[in-house]
Amino acid sequence: MPLEPFNNSASLTFGVELELQLVNLSDLDLTAASPDMLHLLRREKFPGNVTPEVTESMIEINTDVHTHYTELLAQLQLIRDTLVRAGDKLNIGICGGGTHPFQHWAERRIYSKPRFHEVSAIYGYLIKQFTVFGQHIHIGCTSGDEALFLLHALNRYVPHFIALSAASPYFQGVDTQFNSARLNSVFAFPLSGRAPFLLRWDEFEHGYYAKMEDTGIVKSMKDFYWDIRPKPEYGTIELRVCDTPLTVERAAALSAYLQALCRHLLERNEAEPAEDDYLVYNYNRFQACRFGLDGTLVHPRSHESMSLREDILTTLRRLEPHAEALGSLDAFEDLYPVLHEGSDASFLRGQFAASGSLEGMVDAALDRFRKPVR
Amino acid sequence: MGVETRCGYVRNFYPHPNLPPAWGKELKFRHFVVVNGFSAPLRGSQIKAHGFIGGYLLTGLQHSRRFIAELNIVEGNVELFDSLTITTELTWPLALAIAWIAGEFGHRWTGLPRISIYGLVGFLLANSQAGLLPESVSITLLANIAFGLILFELGYRINLRWLSNNPWLGVASLSEALLTFIAVLLVAQAFGVLLIPALLLASLAMATSPAAILRVVNEERSSGQVTERILHLSAFNCVLAVLTFKVVVGLWVFHNTGDILHALWSSLVFLMVSAALGGLFGVAVPALLSRLGNSERDATVVFAIAVIVLAALTHALGFSPVLATLAFGLIARHRRIFLSQAEKNFGTLGNLLTVLLFVFLASTLHWQAVASGTGLALVLLFIRFAVKTLSVAAFSRLSGITWRKGVLTGVALTPLSAFVILLLEQSRHLDIGLVDELTALAAMTLLLEVIGPVVTHWALVWAKEVPESDRN
Repeated sequence: MPLEPFNNSASLTFGVELELQLVNLSDLDLTAASPDMLHLLRREKFPGNVTPEVTESMIEINTDVHTHYTELLAQLQLIRDTLVRAGDKLNIGICGGGTHPFQHWAERRIYSKPRFHEVSAIYGYLIKQFTVFGQHIHIGCTSGDEALFLLHALNRYVPHFIALSAASPYFQGVDTQFNSARLNSVFAFPLSGRAPFLLRWDEFEHGYYAKMEDTGIVKSMKDFYWDIRPKPEYGTIELRVCDTPLTVERAAALSAYLQALCRHLLERNEAEPAEDDYLVYNYNRFQACRFGLDGTLVHPRSHESMSLREDILTTLRRLEPHAEALGSLDAFEDLYPVLHEGSDASFLRGQFAASGSLEGMVDAALDRFRKPVR
Repeated sequence: MGVETRCGYVRNFYPHPNLPPAWGKELKFRHFVVVNGFSAPLRGSQIKAHGFIGGYLLTGLQHSRRFIAELNIVEGNVELFDSLTITTELTWPLALAIAWIAGEFGHRWTGLPRISIYGLVGFLLANSQAGLLPESVSITLLANIAFGLILFELGYRINLRWLSNNPWLGVASLSEALLTFIAVLLVAQAFGVLLIPALLLASLAMATSPAAILRVVNEERSSGQVTERILHLSAFNCVLAVLTFKVVVGLWVFHNTGDILHALWSSLVFLMVSAALGGLFGVAVPALLSRLGNSERDATVVFAIAVIVLAALTHALGFSPVLATLAFGLIARHRRIFLSQAEKNFGTLGNLLTVLLFVFLASTLHWQAVASGTGLALVLLFIRFAVKTLSVAAFSRLSGITWRKGVLTGVALTPLSAFVILLLEQSRHLDIGLVDELTALAAMTLLLEVIGPVVTHWALVWAKEVPESDRN
């Protein structure tokens, strides 16, 4: 299927997708509950959209397209409350976090839907192991060219989103010493990583994509597991590196950060993106996954080492005028404390230390998800 | 009386010459000897006799109910065969091995759940059939422990908050239990069962076997609403069954003796002390664990030992191990101490004791009772199945699931509770000559021991809650 034309959308509109965990409240392991949840949720009007994910212990929600942070936040909170109510009715716990700390991938069940069975047949255990939970943020772009520009201009900031959202320190029962272990599962896929360095949409469409399609490897954009990928159907780019945070409030704040950042980049005051920016990309990405906010970045142009935490702080300060213009300063107020209090990954480690068990950690995550932060 | 204590198995019973000659023939293994208040089936049972002179003196002989008045004090000689203990030591392990092997092959060939096959083996090898499995106090205790471990795990999986979050679940639970009680009572009476036995039968028919449910759920690794709901509903209807059973026993005691104290003791106090003992463990053990630093390995061992102690304690004191261990699990869960993954089902210990439990339960059933009770049992089975299915299904939409899953939840509640037998065993000390009256119960238990898990298995498969690779 050839790539569909890029549907231009209003600049800087945004929307959020969250993959959430369905947890058995008795043993706090993941539970194959999405068919039951979806049945109950579909009986009434859902504020947004809810869809199955590849294994039955996951559920994905997405918001409508928004322009303002406050509206996005309000909708996410409404979605959260609806989910929690449904979960209570069915005795199913719902929580965020990029991984479930001790689930065994072999026990996951593929949701019965042709595409999921297809990918499961191709990728085998990788798909079950892909029971990890991410936040995807869409940013509306006015053209395919703008989308590719933003996609590559953002490369230097990808570690910010990894570190700020990091919420997957444990995987398969052990502390991985990573802050975001989830991205390691994504990296196992052959078509993961970064998008090819192309800045013009027709080049991407007729050059790269058409050739890839011709090889038979890909059938649609969905077959690419890139960190940021264009979504021509929506007219957006989609940032996919964030772990699902423990609260929807954090998810909204991260989206507002991305929106402000894009507004800044679109002013084109920074050096144009270049292929060589990607020399440091995987290293920086690894630093963010492994050490979170304590990581060290190498600047793609100056090749200076700098603290990831400092870099985020500087960027947040620099973006404040944009946040003000977009009406999302409150979101920044949510992000500053993360820099000194630590990310969700540190919170989860703290809960393990306090309760002495991974189950206690999941319990704390469930609790954190259901209660409004403010 | 002296203080000498002898233990052994009854090999032969010589009725007192004063007994009518016809009874001598009848006094076979269906009947019970009572020595100093301790009762056991006549042949092959272990009895304790306290200080008798020359032979063994029975202080009471419990016969089928029509003779109970005359036989209150009957004397006779019992010949004890001490070395039979050795046979028990051999036959039970052999029976376990046979059951396990039969379970594995039977499961492979027929697709029947393993526990169904364990039950069949137990019934066929039992004392009253093949005569291989003598009842013994230690096996009963082990069975109680096995059952205790299962109930602890069940209690641990119960989320009481679910009832307040979804009151329709509570309504469904109450209505399926109460309607089952009423329906079974009416049908049993229509078939000429006397009031008290009919009441007991009805109360026991309320319960769904937690052992069978949990076993099938764990074996199939099923998950979903049907799974969650049958676990909760079976815990609730078991508690309701124990409550009702004890109330009926209390009524009976009061009716017969006019002794309100005895009646109260046998019901209210029994229930409260049992639950309180469990509750005490539920508070104390997690407290102990948190002092130990709550490492995961310790948790399983500590909980297992605690369940064993609690089951043995309540068994010995004559309280209800069922209620106590269930309460223990329930309280422990709500104290938020978590058992980790690997220790589901208490691992190997749990698996081993499950084989023993299901062999034991079926081995207590007597062929004669099963045969004579089958007619009524089939009718009751059908009524119970219909009532449970309909009353649970009626609330499916209101409680948030599809009609299909609602019906399957009701269907999956079919297994009859195994603790029926443990309860009856325990009630013998109350001198209720009702056990023999409940032949329909023996037949129901046997039928459901085999059929029940199969029904639950298929209900879970049809509900699509069993992983594809495990379906057969």
